[in-house]
Amino acid sequence: MNNRPVLEAKDLKVAYGGNLALDLPHLAVRERELVGVVGANGAGKSTLVNGLVGWSRGTPKISGKVLLDGRDISGLPTHERVRSGLLLIPEGKLVFTQMTVEENLSSTSDETDLGQGRRRYSTDEVYGLFPRLHERRHHLGSQLSGGERQMLGIARALRLGPRALLLDEPSIGLAPRLVSTVLDTVRSLVDSGLTVLLVEQNVRAAIEVVDRLVLLERGRIIAEGPAADMRDDPRIAEAYLGAHVA
Amino acid sequence: MNLTQQLVNGIVLGHAYALIAIGWTVLLGVARLVNFGHGQMYMLGAFVTWYGVSRLGLPYIVSIPFAMLAGVAVGFIMQRVMLRLTLKQDLVSIMIVTLGFGYVLHGAAALTFGSTGQILETPLSTQDIYWGDLWFTYQDIAIVIVAILFFAALKYTIDRTRIGRLARMVAEDPQLAALAGINVKRVYFGVFAFEGAAVALAAALVAPRTPILTSMGFDEVIVTFVVVVLGGIGSVTGSYLAGLALGLFTAFFGAFVSPAYATAAAFAVLIAVLVVRPGGLAVSPGGR
Amino acid sequence: MSHGMKTILLAILAVLGFFVPMILGGSGAVYAACVLIAIFAVMSYGLDMIVSDLGEVSLAHTVFFAVGAYTTALLSASAGFGPLLSLAGALLMALLVAALLGLVTLQLREFVFSLVTYAVAVVAATVAQNWSFLGGSDGLRGIPAFEISLLGFSARNDRELWPVAYLLLLAAIYVVSSFRRSRLGQAAMMVHLNPRLAVTSGVDPQRTRLQVFLLSAPITASAGWLYAYQRAYISADVLETYFLILMLTAVVVVGRRLLLGPLVGVTLILVQEKFFSFGGYVDKIILGSVLILTLSFLPSGLVGIFAPLRTLFARRQAPLGKPIPERS
Repeated sequence: MNNRPVLEAKDLKVAYGGNLALDLPHLAVRERELVGVVGANGAGKSTLVNGLVGWSRGTPKISGKVLLDGRDISGLPTHERVRSGLLLIPEGKLVFTQMTVEENLSSTSDETDLGQGRRRYSTDEVYGLFPRLHERRHHLGSQLSGGERQMLGIARALRLGPRALLLDEPSIGLAPRLVSTVLDTVRSLVDSGLTVLLVEQNVRAAIEVVDRLVLLERGRIIAEGPAADMRDDPRIAEAYLGAHVA
Repeated sequence: MNLTQQLVNGIVLGHAYALIAIGWTVLLGVARLVNFGHGQMYMLGAFVTWYGVSRLGLPYIVSIPFAMLAGVAVGFIMQRVMLRLTLKQDLVSIMIVTLGFGYVLHGAAALTFGSTGQILETPLSTQDIYWGDLWFTYQDIAIVIVAILFFAALKYTIDRTRIGRLARMVAEDPQLAALAGINVKRVYFGVFAFEGAAVALAAALVAPRTPILTSMGFDEVIVTFVVVVLGGIGSVTGSYLAGLALGLFTAFFGAFVSPAYATAAAFAVLIAVLVVRPGGLAVSPGGR
Repeated sequence: MSHGMKTILLAILAVLGFFVPMILGGSGAVYAACVLIAIFAVMSYGLDMIVSDLGEVSLAHTVFFAVGAYTTALLSASAGFGPLLSLAGALLMALLVAALLGLVTLQLREFVFSLVTYAVAVVAATVAQNWSFLGGSDGLRGIPAFEISLLGFSARNDRELWPVAYLLLLAAIYVVSSFRRSRLGQAAMMVHLNPRLAVTSGVDPQRTRLQVFLLSAPITASAGWLYAYQRAYISADVLETYFLILMLTAVVVVGRRLLLGPLVGVTLILVQEKFFSFGGYVDKIILGSVLILTLSFLPSGLVGIFAPLRTLFARRQAPLGKPIPERS
């Protein structure tokens, strides 16, 4: 494992109409690392990943630095951050519902030289990863189930050649069996070379797959460490795993 | 009254209407924008073509792209000025601003081209064709052929090409499109430039049918409005069919009732449709 | 400032306003400009309620203006009615047309609403130009002088018409300001800014919109009434886009929901056109550009430039247009 961070945030602050929703002095995700971000509803988990790509469905004020492979991308508009390899799969609506699966997976950019550490997955590769999508390739996005949409969201991001992937609550609304399928897929992507920041409210499932865990509360990091250590952290254990630490 | 002749008139008129409206269809379908200056952009397209042909002595075929370029320029300037409103999707302000642009275009055109009527004469409009007791001009044939080719090419572009997919993505969800690496602003500029070019092309082809005045453009807006709404907002195929239907209606109404009130009657039909099913007007993204 | 003080100040301002044309030299041109400013300001106040309070754009207000003018012309020239009766007729007709239009467009929002109202205006112009009952392209001539024999009042020129125009202006301002303080005005703002909250607070948005529409149309029509007397003839040019652009610019240029905003806006425009004109076409370009630039770059109007002053004069800030709800 290389120690140089692929994705780094410094002094990242996001405010909605004067209310500070996120205050993040430092966060780093290293090469081939799967970092989980957990916390209660409204702790600022989504605000964090959205802030990293400068994206939102509201109109927040975002300040601070975002570095991708050491390059400051915080001055770039969202679509250019995406093109430089920082891909967000948002929570909620994450596929184009009026387009077929195939069209969703069609390329939106024709650049061929993506630069170091990036690779555009081919359509066959993502179909190999998600055979279900291949079966449904002629269906519209609106006809897909929640799990299928999640797969399509990830597949779409892979097609764009990600350097780092930001996943916002992929397990939301999914059946328990599907949750582990999706998270296992994410884990195998990381093992094959990807770098991922995963937002999850399902801590029990997330802690099984992540390398490191970050606990957010009211927009701030209150605990951070390797997954194995965090499992025994009382703040995690009591609040999210339902266990009492002796 | 010759029924077949009215049918021919209606078909020509219908293709003309579809062509006039297509820029707006795409504008509304892809960018969810409206342009009340559309009629004046039509007027400008007609006058630039006229200027090219009769003042600069350019061949008609060269004057058409010349007018389309002017249309692109106007569309680009409009979009540049309104960019903040566009990104905020402040439709109410956009409507008024485009109305203002139409007004400015009218003033500027009257200043440049004078306020007297002109005839835009083309090599095609002066050649009549008599076929039995039917009469039409080569210009009419050109309108029908260009309209069909234009619609086919547009439909293909939207459904099958990368540009079309990008436009449909922006139409459905501009924010999600940004996450797919699409420069949404550029798509908006492109759509406005397309609107300018399309309406100028329509003007260059259709305007030779009647004398041109810098004060014209209002009928064209109503026609466009009826076509876009009846065709299903944002639908290319729908616009083509609605344009054709409106053309036939106008031709027959003009022949049997009163030509002066033809536009008013078309509008009355639309009002009736709107009252019966106001819900049928939801914007269907995708620009298909 | 206490409420009482404010009322007294406004009363003094209202009295002083009457002497403005005299203070400016009292020439015929000044009176003519002042009368027109008053008429066009009244016309704009009708639209102001729709745009600023309801947050919709009606492009059919030229039609109400024309309904007022044509009804007056028909009643006074053909039927021999006096000004008061023709005013009643004009208001009634405007109400009728507004009710019809309001019912038809009740379900329509935003740009479809505006498109329909715009189309109504264009079609109305076609009808006015072609219908011989309305004089066709010649228009209606022979509107008698403004004479109320009951009061022994007669106005044969702009100087004599000024008191009437000024009274009409004061009445319009009074109606708009009472409207903003009324329950209907509050309801309109609620429907504009937060329709969902409005519904849960027991406000019926469609009913509110219709009521505001019905209140606004007669205001604009009353301007048409006086315009018919001022010009002594009426033709389809009262339906020209000029009036629409004039109204819209007047409503937005100074700042929205400012009580005197439309009056100041109309004054600025007419002073430019009457005394600093560059010819009709250039004036068109100026007026249109002012409208474009205000909305694109000065969302809170001219007042926005003088931000410190704004706190003194501005009422509640209200955005003109709401962003469209997200599609998801």
